Amino acid sequence: MKRCEKCKVTVAGPQEECPLCQGPLLPGEPGREVFPDIPTVYSQHSLFFKILLFLSIVAGVVSLAVNWMIPQSGIWSLMVVAGIGCAWLTIITAVFKRKNLLKNMTYQVVLISLLAAGWDFLTGWRGWSIDYVIPILCMSAMVAMSVIAKVNHLKLSECAIYFVLDGVFGIVPLVFILTKCLHVIYPSMICVAGSVISLAALLVFEGKNMLNEMKKRLHV
Amino acid sequence: MGDYQGAWWNRLDNAAKIFPPTSSKRDTKVFRFACELNELVDGDVLQKALDKTLEAFPIYRSVLRHGLFWYYFESSNLPAEVQQEWEPPCSSIYDSNRKSLLFKVTYFRCRINLEIYHALSDGTGAMQFLRLLVYHYLLFRHPEDLKNTPQMDYDASFSQKMDDSFQKYYDKNGRKGNARHPKAYRIKGQKLPEHRIRVIEGVVSVKQALAKAHGYNATLTGFLTALLLCAIHEDRSLRDQQKPVVLEIPVNLRKYFPSESARNFFSVISAGYDFSKKPPDFEQVIRAVDDCFQKELTPEQLSLRMNTFAAIEHNPFARVTPLILKDVALKIGYHAAAKESTGALSNIGKISMPQELIPYIRLFDVFVSTNKLQICLCSFEDNLTLSFTSPFISTDIQKRFFRSLTSMGLEVEIASNLIH
Repeated sequence: MKRCEKCKVTVAGPQEECPLCQGPLLPGEPGREVFPDIPTVYSQHSLFFKILLFLSIVAGVVSLAVNWMIPQSGIWSLMVVAGIGCAWLTIITAVFKRKNLLKNMTYQVVLISLLAAGWDFLTGWRGWSIDYVIPILCMSAMVAMSVIAKVNHLKLSECAIYFVLDGVFGIVPLVFILTKCLHVIYPSMICVAGSVISLAALLVFEGKNMLNEMKKRLHV
Repeated sequence: MGDYQGAWWNRLDNAAKIFPPTSSKRDTKVFRFACELNELVDGDVLQKALDKTLEAFPIYRSVLRHGLFWYYFESSNLPAEVQQEWEPPCSSIYDSNRKSLLFKVTYFRCRINLEIYHALSDGTGAMQFLRLLVYHYLLFRHPEDLKNTPQMDYDASFSQKMDDSFQKYYDKNGRKGNARHPKAYRIKGQKLPEHRIRVIEGVVSVKQALAKAHGYNATLTGFLTALLLCAIHEDRSLRDQQKPVVLEIPVNLRKYFPSESARNFFSVISAGYDFSKKPPDFEQVIRAVDDCFQKELTPEQLSLRMNTFAAIEHNPFARVTPLILKDVALKIGYHAAAKESTGALSNIGKISMPQELIPYIRLFDVFVSTNKLQICLCSFEDNLTLSFTSPFISTDIQKRFFRSLTSMGLEVEIASNLIH
């Protein structure tokens, strides 16, 4: 076996240097190999995000500068900057939750709903967010989740919680209907009805399991 | 969709609760237990042995999930696949966004590696799993030569293995105030890329090491603790020498409170030495460490500490606090406590195997992910394996430690993972 004269130890494996003092080893049999050589891989995906981030900054700065030069055109550049910010929020959420598609969708439904309501409010509250965006988002998420669950053969225990969350969120438009703050009630009505039916289906067919799942999730 | 039927779930034990909120890429809270055979490992046979071993350890089939108030284990039917080793040692296992088993079995040349997320089990529990895995592997591999091998001696029942012994021995009247310790010296220096950890392991003779320890009238753990305290001290710059060097030492509570649990059942004591107030003399350090062990390693002291931590978990306000807030509180508490120690030393002890299997096995090895410096030791027959893990580029402390052993006349064989 190889040997380090300074440390007075024998060294196993393919190393040429002593792992303790980094000095040269006296040659010998290589001996047993204990660990595989795993090369360091530096992050490969980051360049794409760096380019995206850089382009966002360029777009934001350019629109702010152009807007400043022609002030008579209104303050549209702030909207560009806010839009870029919102896009990044959803991208970051998507990246962090990429390993669980249903969780990702649940997060996105809530996030995009809040962002839409925020935009609607700041641009003079024309009600498009609660008339269309929130109910349509909820319904499409429910349909998409069902398709994903079916295609990926997901087990109920893995996806039930997201159906429940989306179902409960889908009942929220009922508040808008009852308080009469909608201009168009069709999307909201369909969304609420769909959510109630989906929750009812879960309760009727999987009630006991849902109860168990709740017990697990809520134990103190 | 009847997959709920028969699915059980289980609370995390008291010690396990700290791991999910504090694991990160830098410190994955994963430890590895390895067995080095005297022959190359066959992956297919190992897979068969793993399937067989899992029948005896159903809790290893569970995944970790997020509740509103607590984490919990849930049984799963995810397959456990044996793989050839391809990741750096102690890479992260638990990912909150993906359901996965909390352990991995890999092999490389003569080694069978078992990597476990610490929330699932401690070293002693994992050792029982690995012993049974190696037992089944060797019996499948050499059916003719080993057909008369007796059963393994670990015969705990399903419920004994699943036992949460912290609950069993909790006595809410026996706690002590949470005494604050002074801040300890912390090792500084550049860290390795990619959150890697460096493993340096030395194999020495148990007989030689014990003889040295007994020569100083100390236990092996006491002797090595003192040796490491001195190695860390000698490596520091003058202006760092005001603070004491403190090592955390996990204690297997099964030795003090009867339990066959395959889950966590350990506590931690700390042994330190203030080199600025007391003489930096090896004999003195050994005596101080020995006194500390005498004082701390009694059922009464250990029970006080155990109850203090269990009381936090039983506090009604803590229980109804949402998990997200608990996670933050635990993180803060953990990082505050981390300032009180320089490193850790963990002795898993002697590992035994049936007589017939001994010729096939060279040694056992154990080490753990860390963001400080940790040494783990275990022995099999006459091979004592001392494995250092650290995230630092510098290897000076390890060099001093092993050079002190060789200067005492011990023969040391070193192995390390390559990091370019």
